[in-house]
Amino acid sequence: MKRWVVPALAVFLALPLAAQSVRGRLEGRIPSAAIPAVDSLIQFASQEGLPTDPLIQKALEGGAKHVPGPRIVAAVQVSLSQLRDARDLLVRAGDPPPVLPAEMTTVAWALRRGLAAPLVERVVAALARPPRAAAMHAVADLVAHRFDPDSAAQLIIEAVHDGVPRERLLEVSTAALQQVQRGHTRAEALAIVRGQLPNLPASARPPRGNVAGARRPASPAP
Amino acid sequence: MNVIDPRIHQALDGELAPEAIPVELRRAVAQIAAAADLLAAPPPPRGPAASLESRVMAEIRRPAPSRAWRLIRWLVTPRAIILRVRPGWSVAFAAVVAALTLFTAGDEGPELAEHEGIAQFVGRFPEAQSVHVVGTFNDWRPGSIALEDHDHDGVWRATVVLPAGTYEYMFVVDGERWVPDHLAERLVADDFGRENSIVIVRPARR
Repeated sequence: MKRWVVPALAVFLALPLAAQSVRGRLEGRIPSAAIPAVDSLIQFASQEGLPTDPLIQKALEGGAKHVPGPRIVAAVQVSLSQLRDARDLLVRAGDPPPVLPAEMTTVAWALRRGLAAPLVERVVAALARPPRAAAMHAVADLVAHRFDPDSAAQLIIEAVHDGVPRERLLEVSTAALQQVQRGHTRAEALAIVRGQLPNLPASARPPRGNVAGARRPASPAP
Repeated sequence: MNVIDPRIHQALDGELAPEAIPVELRRAVAQIAAAADLLAAPPPPRGPAASLESRVMAEIRRPAPSRAWRLIRWLVTPRAIILRVRPGWSVAFAAVVAALTLFTAGDEGPELAEHEGIAQFVGRFPEAQSVHVVGTFNDWRPGSIALEDHDHDGVWRATVVLPAGTYEYMFVVDGERWVPDHLAERLVADDFGRENSIVIVRPARR
């Protein structure tokens, strides 16, 4: 038996199974008339190496919100376009191939949160993969609070290069916001925080171990 | 039964002179005679009573020990404790302790895994009968995570363990009204004409 036969057979068998499981997740959750169109969009994404879960989530969201089928299909189509844009942006920015689904999702998030593509491209080019998602959110937080996008991106990139761990990147944007609350202009706030790097004010640490009263959501039923 | 040599009897009765018996018997005769003298002697005078009285008086006259010293002596003095146990009560007590332990353990919440964190959802809905949080963490399935308002002040809360990551969500009030989290710092268009809130869950164990 030739070497390529086994992987090809596995793909041949796996694709229909995956398609079946996607349909299983959608059935009863979105209007049945919309399922074929949504399913085909998800298959396109799968064939292009794009992450499919954001598309499934968008369809489920539309179904839960009782949105008509055509609008669900349109929203999934928009999400697919965003993922394609994200993949192209990562390639343009020189992200080493293969482009990972998680990275595409991260960039799609940044674009959805209103960051301009050139700004996202700059962050991608400046930072390695692990801190990138947190960095994108930190920049997006600052931009959402009307900080200058370029200055905000510069601050977060410097924070990473100065050794601020990715878990604390969101605290960089929080520190800048706190300076604004103390009466500084946004430019002054960024300058103050930049001067303090890599030190940041102590923040409330997330809880460890057991958490009283916490519960896990029930596993989503198929 | 030991048989006493008859010559000892005779020596004790004076029928035989001590020199007439062997040396080892002579020693036994002497010991028995000494014991008999001791038993025949009158009781000792009542001197010890006086001695006891003086000892008691001396104890009374001695200055009282300090409170701290009495406390220390009370603490270090061994005491016997008698515990009477009814098996029925013991079983009931053990059951109560076990129930309390289980109840407390349940309240501590689940143990967080390496890449899990905590998301806290809080919303103010004074007139609501029920509030649920729905989002990408539960496949947008209404009804799976309920918020609670234990003190009926209109503030509904839920603390949820989630894998670290970024999630979109909304509140569903009374099963039909979709409301974004107004306390959330991050919002994003949902492509259906509304806005979803965003929660970023950081891993609890760094």
